[in-house]
Amino acid sequence: MNPALLMFQKLWPALAAGTVGAFVPRRSSRVERLGIALAAAACVLFVTLLWPDTVVEAVKVPNAERFPHLLSWLVFIPLVGAGLMLFAPRQAARTVQWLALGIMGVELLATLVLFRLTPVEGKYWLEESSPWITTFGIRYHLALDGFSYWLIVLSSVLTPIATYVSFGSVKTRQKDFAIAFLVLQGAMVGSLLAIDLFLFYVMWELMLVPMYLLIGVFGSADRVRAAIKFFLYTMAGSLMMLVAILYVVLKYRALTGELSWDLPDLERLNFPLVTQRWLFWGFAIAFLIKVPMFPVHTWLPDAHTNAPTGGSIILAAVMLKLGAYGYIRFAMGLFPHAAHVYGATLAGIAVVGGVLYGALCALKQSDFKRLIAYSSVAHLGYVMLGIFARNPASMEGAVLQMVNHGVSTGALFLLVGVIYDRRHTRDLAEFGGLAKVMPWYAAVFLVVTFSSIGLPGTNGFVGEWLIMSGAFLSKGTLGQWGRSQAMGAALGVILGAVYMLTVVQKVFFGPLDNPKNRRLPDLTRREGIALAPLVVLIFVIGLFPRIFTEPMHITIEPWVRDFNARVEVPPVEQPTVSPKPASPAPALGGE
Amino acid sequence: MEHHLLFQPDDWTPLAWILGAPLFGAFFNGVFGKRLGKNAVRTMAVAVMAVSFAAALYTFLQLHEFRHGLEAAMGAAASHGGVKEGAELTEPTRFTWLAWKWLSMPSADGGGRLGIDAKFMVDELSGVMMLVVTGVGFLIHVYSTSYMAKDPSYHRFFAYLNLFIFAMLVLILGANMPLLFVGWEGVGLCSYLLIGFWFDKEANAAAGRKAFIANRIGDVGMLGGMFLLAYYAGALDWTGITHGSQGLLQPITLYQAADPAKSITVSAATLTGLALLLGCTGKSAQIPLYVWLPDAMAGPTPVSALIHAATMVTSGLYLIARLNVVFTFSPFAMAVVASVGAATALFAATIGLVQNDIKKVLAYSTVSQLGYMFLGVGTGAFAMGFFHVFTHAFFKAALFLGSGSVIHAMHARIHDDVKSQDMRLMGGLKKYMPWTYFSMGAATLAIAGMPLFSGFFSKDGILFHAYANRVVHPFKHTAEHIVELCKTNPKMPACGAAEQQLAAYWEAPRWLGPTLFTVGVIAAALTAFYMFRLMFMTFWGEFKGWKVDSAAPLALDPFANEEPLVDEPEAHEAHAHGEQAHDEEHGHEEHGHHHEDLATPAAPPAEAPWTMALPVAILAVFAVFAGFLYAEPLRIEPLGHWLDPVFHHVNMVSVHLKEGAEQLEKPLMVPGVLAFLIGSGIAYLWYVKGEGKTPAELAAAWPRLHRAALNKWYVDELYDATIIEGTDALADGAALMDTWVVDGILAKLTSAIASGLGAVLRAFQNGVVHVYAAGIAIGALGLFVFFGRPHADVATTKAGEQFTIEATPGLGYEYKWDLGDGKADQQYTTGEAALKRSITVKQDETKKVKLTVKNAFGREVVREVQIRNPKPAPTSSALGLPGAPGGQ
Repeated sequence: MNPALLMFQKLWPALAAGTVGAFVPRRSSRVERLGIALAAAACVLFVTLLWPDTVVEAVKVPNAERFPHLLSWLVFIPLVGAGLMLFAPRQAARTVQWLALGIMGVELLATLVLFRLTPVEGKYWLEESSPWITTFGIRYHLALDGFSYWLIVLSSVLTPIATYVSFGSVKTRQKDFAIAFLVLQGAMVGSLLAIDLFLFYVMWELMLVPMYLLIGVFGSADRVRAAIKFFLYTMAGSLMMLVAILYVVLKYRALTGELSWDLPDLERLNFPLVTQRWLFWGFAIAFLIKVPMFPVHTWLPDAHTNAPTGGSIILAAVMLKLGAYGYIRFAMGLFPHAAHVYGATLAGIAVVGGVLYGALCALKQSDFKRLIAYSSVAHLGYVMLGIFARNPASMEGAVLQMVNHGVSTGALFLLVGVIYDRRHTRDLAEFGGLAKVMPWYAAVFLVVTFSSIGLPGTNGFVGEWLIMSGAFLSKGTLGQWGRSQAMGAALGVILGAVYMLTVVQKVFFGPLDNPKNRRLPDLTRREGIALAPLVVLIFVIGLFPRIFTEPMHITIEPWVRDFNARVEVPPVEQPTVSPKPASPAPALGGE
Repeated sequence: MEHHLLFQPDDWTPLAWILGAPLFGAFFNGVFGKRLGKNAVRTMAVAVMAVSFAAALYTFLQLHEFRHGLEAAMGAAASHGGVKEGAELTEPTRFTWLAWKWLSMPSADGGGRLGIDAKFMVDELSGVMMLVVTGVGFLIHVYSTSYMAKDPSYHRFFAYLNLFIFAMLVLILGANMPLLFVGWEGVGLCSYLLIGFWFDKEANAAAGRKAFIANRIGDVGMLGGMFLLAYYAGALDWTGITHGSQGLLQPITLYQAADPAKSITVSAATLTGLALLLGCTGKSAQIPLYVWLPDAMAGPTPVSALIHAATMVTSGLYLIARLNVVFTFSPFAMAVVASVGAATALFAATIGLVQNDIKKVLAYSTVSQLGYMFLGVGTGAFAMGFFHVFTHAFFKAALFLGSGSVIHAMHARIHDDVKSQDMRLMGGLKKYMPWTYFSMGAATLAIAGMPLFSGFFSKDGILFHAYANRVVHPFKHTAEHIVELCKTNPKMPACGAAEQQLAAYWEAPRWLGPTLFTVGVIAAALTAFYMFRLMFMTFWGEFKGWKVDSAAPLALDPFANEEPLVDEPEAHEAHAHGEQAHDEEHGHEEHGHHHEDLATPAAPPAEAPWTMALPVAILAVFAVFAGFLYAEPLRIEPLGHWLDPVFHHVNMVSVHLKEGAEQLEKPLMVPGVLAFLIGSGIAYLWYVKGEGKTPAELAAAWPRLHRAALNKWYVDELYDATIIEGTDALADGAALMDTWVVDGILAKLTSAIASGLGAVLRAFQNGVVHVYAAGIAIGALGLFVFFGRPHADVATTKAGEQFTIEATPGLGYEYKWDLGDGKADQQYTTGEAALKRSITVKQDETKKVKLTVKNAFGREVVREVQIRNPKPAPTSSALGLPGAPGGQ
């Protein structure tokens, strides 16, 4: 066939989307039309290019040879960028803004390279390892696989959005703000990629500092107390983890004679069950505080309520996920038996204390942000249920739901920020009938609401469906209560609808009786641009979830199989070390 | 075999047009509608419906032709083989279209993948339903172009309406359960948006939320049902479920008791059926979740006609009919479906008797009619139950649209949302609105069950089958057969098992059929009564709207021949819905001379424009004649024959007529016809002859009963007091617990302890030298006391049978050991050597070691240690065994 015709056949959906997009804005400039058209076309291209069934030429070159330093770039673009920002003139607000966004844009571009990786079954897709502090056996070891893949994309997408929208409301100390955000991004990506426990711990703690500053400096009324609470809670958990890490590392030295902090090395350690229990809790508490899970969740509403909009977005969208991610990667990876023994109980806590209790608490909040914070507790209850159920479906659902929650709750916090900027109150009783004056705002809010309560067709449904059905179908991981727990989580679906629709009704419907709300302006261009990608993602994930689940599946399915195999072997009586796998073959590209 | 089809049956792209057109319309009207004006919106909305309907019709005809070809081929094969019988298809004929692969999840055992595709399928059942939705939908769109003409949110209305049609089509055409669920929730969303269309009235928004949440409660059942299907049938698409449905016969132990006789075990099919039924009661407004539907009347009337009468509320029926194999596997679940249906039919009809709001009457009538449909499918009369869906779509849509015309006309005179729906203010309208009168009259005759009208055939068919049908476990016949055989040949191996099995197969008790029949007949009489009451109050007699002053409160209304509306505050709220849009528009034109209008005799209520009258008339024609598609008593059954392949399996296996029931078909029609005559006759006597005096007297005689019926038997209040208050109390408890217990202990208490400790310690750091000196002195004293006493601490290490005991060293300590081997030290020794002793302890042996320590002050202390060498514990899979040996 004519190559031009072939090209057209491939590209027509994108062209059509672009054409429609160009007509969407009413009485706007050509630039805006062009922008929307390009964005719409890019979305369609994104979906078609990433479509899992698309036959791609097999790449024979291993990932590591094609992109030798990609992971380091991902970690250090924002960190080095933060250093660069120091030299930006404080007074030149626009320079500061564009520099920060530019750095994040470069990071986003680097993230796009990730899509060119060839997923590798059962191994890290891409690794980077070199000695760092040789005296203590500490390595600089980064690795990426299906667990961290989408979370990194999530962080690269949401950080610029959060920063961009914040520049609309944070008017002072923008440079400090931008630096905090860049450091935060670097630390988050670092924690997602670090495989060496020391490096991980450094990155994990590094996250705290900028967030502490974001809440404590840029937050609202009760910011200092909230910042301290946030810091202490997380720190308390981290210290327990540190002790556990030290024990594991020293035990490794005692058994092998070498010092190593590297996860693949330490995973070879087999501990007796009693030891595993203690060490497991050392790790798990740190992660579960971060998630957060009942009963260590109360820092979250305070932190969210007082954090600035951008901080809330990042906190909810990415930082909380690190708890769940760390639980999978480290707590489950190092102590499989203990994780297995406690899985069913923890799943019960996730359902009753998270999904149901969190939703009930949300029902009673009068503060907009607190309500969404509690809804986060409920949503992460689903995520944790999926992880504890430990079935390929539920694990995929859990990782996808982390992304979903990042998108939906990130958008919700952004939307609350919109209204907070206009009215400087978060009290739900202050609002009513806003749909009349802010129709676009109301429409977007409604879309995000329905995504958050898991309406089929949006992202929320896919995640919840995978988690609940996975938990329901799981055999043995949740004990005899597996089905009850899945159904308990299904009850949360009702409560989710109750609290979110109550908010919608209170804020948007009814008469517009508060005179202060009469003249509220609708979404500004900045807010619109920030929200648009999130709304698009809501539908892309909801309608084409296989783009997201198929790459995960390549990692998760063997991981679960391997985990189950490890659990089936009874725990040892004395600590031992399994032999190293025969040939640590480098990750090879597609077969 | 040649089929002259333009498209392949397994890639039937016209489905894309059927689905895509309304979706495009929704997008277009939603995004561009406001800019392009009402004409463009109207054209687009109606055009996409026309496209969708045309594609649906084409698909339907092609499906018909295709099936005809199959039948002909089968017939040819059969006659070729010498079989004379007419060919019967046993499988539905299907056209499918795969849009894309939506989701694939690892299956239960983690091995396979459970594909959930965005795949659409049309067969006999969904074909009919698709035609109803697009056809009735098209008419209602046309109607709405006039009805909503003055609304400023015109584009929004049509965007929602188009979106609804799309979602409904996804529900119907989806080829698997999750895709149906997408549509299921999609229609729920549109319903939510359209009920709260005039959202600036608090009550409308509340009604929308109520509808959504009631449906969400049902969704839990839907989710549970889907999980069970995925687990036991191993598939979620319709064909896969049918093929894997045998798995649903496995037992599930709900409650495991020590005594197996006391454990509660049900079959997976029962549980699945009941779970799905919960979902259906939500969507199809059955007891216990029906409460949202009457409130949903807050939406614009065309919405009530389309969503809350003709299409969406029947999706529960569609689901049960679609999963007929699953439901019939459990006669118990079927009996529950039928009982819920019958109960709802009667219950809702009693409420409908006394309502004065024209839309409320129709709403309860809808609930009641849906009950009939459930009764039909619950007794295994799937085709008949579905036929009632079909006829109901016509007559109820006609009634709602007609009532919309009436309200429209009344509103033009009264300018009050509540009063323009109050039937007590109507009357005599047949003179002014003849088209509407005749259309609604025909629909009323149909719903009331006038012989030869459509409702007669569907309702009486359902009642007959409720009486005569018997639903049995699919294996029951085989078991019975074996037991029969065993009577003659008792040595057969399977005899004992078969008898046991036979006893275990539940079947509905004998009295259930006649009871359901009776309840259905009573409800039919009530239906005839309230429908004719509606007609007489609205169209007959004198028009009472002349004397209405819209400014005066209704309680003072002299025409309140029954309870004043003040007693019904909720009703006020619920339909204090705004056709405020009208008001606004009217405001511009007429507000100035609003009052003069009332003072002088205003223009009489006018007939609706043709765009409104014509759709109603068309629907009415269908309401009259649709019955002949499935007139069982007359043996004119094209629809029955058409649907047969869908229900072929259950008709062969599970559903049977009771013995001798065929003869009852004609006699059992008598009660149905009598019910119609009695109901309509009483309505005539009371409301035409008696001019409403008898009902008023009755209401006065039993005021509490009347009020209870008027207030819907206080079910809303009951739910408020129990479920809603209960949840609220739980939420209160949770919120309090979070602040005071969880946060209280973890944050507030720990911080209090820390700051309390800080306060204590701070007291010492006061800079006063005396205090520091005292501290030093006390510390020194403490050290002195500690070191003044000797400490005999030992640590034991093990190496095989060799144990090493080591004493802690101390300044000036001297040691004396007694290892129990008769060679005890006589003298104290010091130095490195004195610190350590070795001892051999065999397995399973215990030895005592005694150590005496003397310190520099000459004080002595004795320490005895027992050393055991236990047998190694047997290895076990230590999972779940706490404290496995070898711990640190």
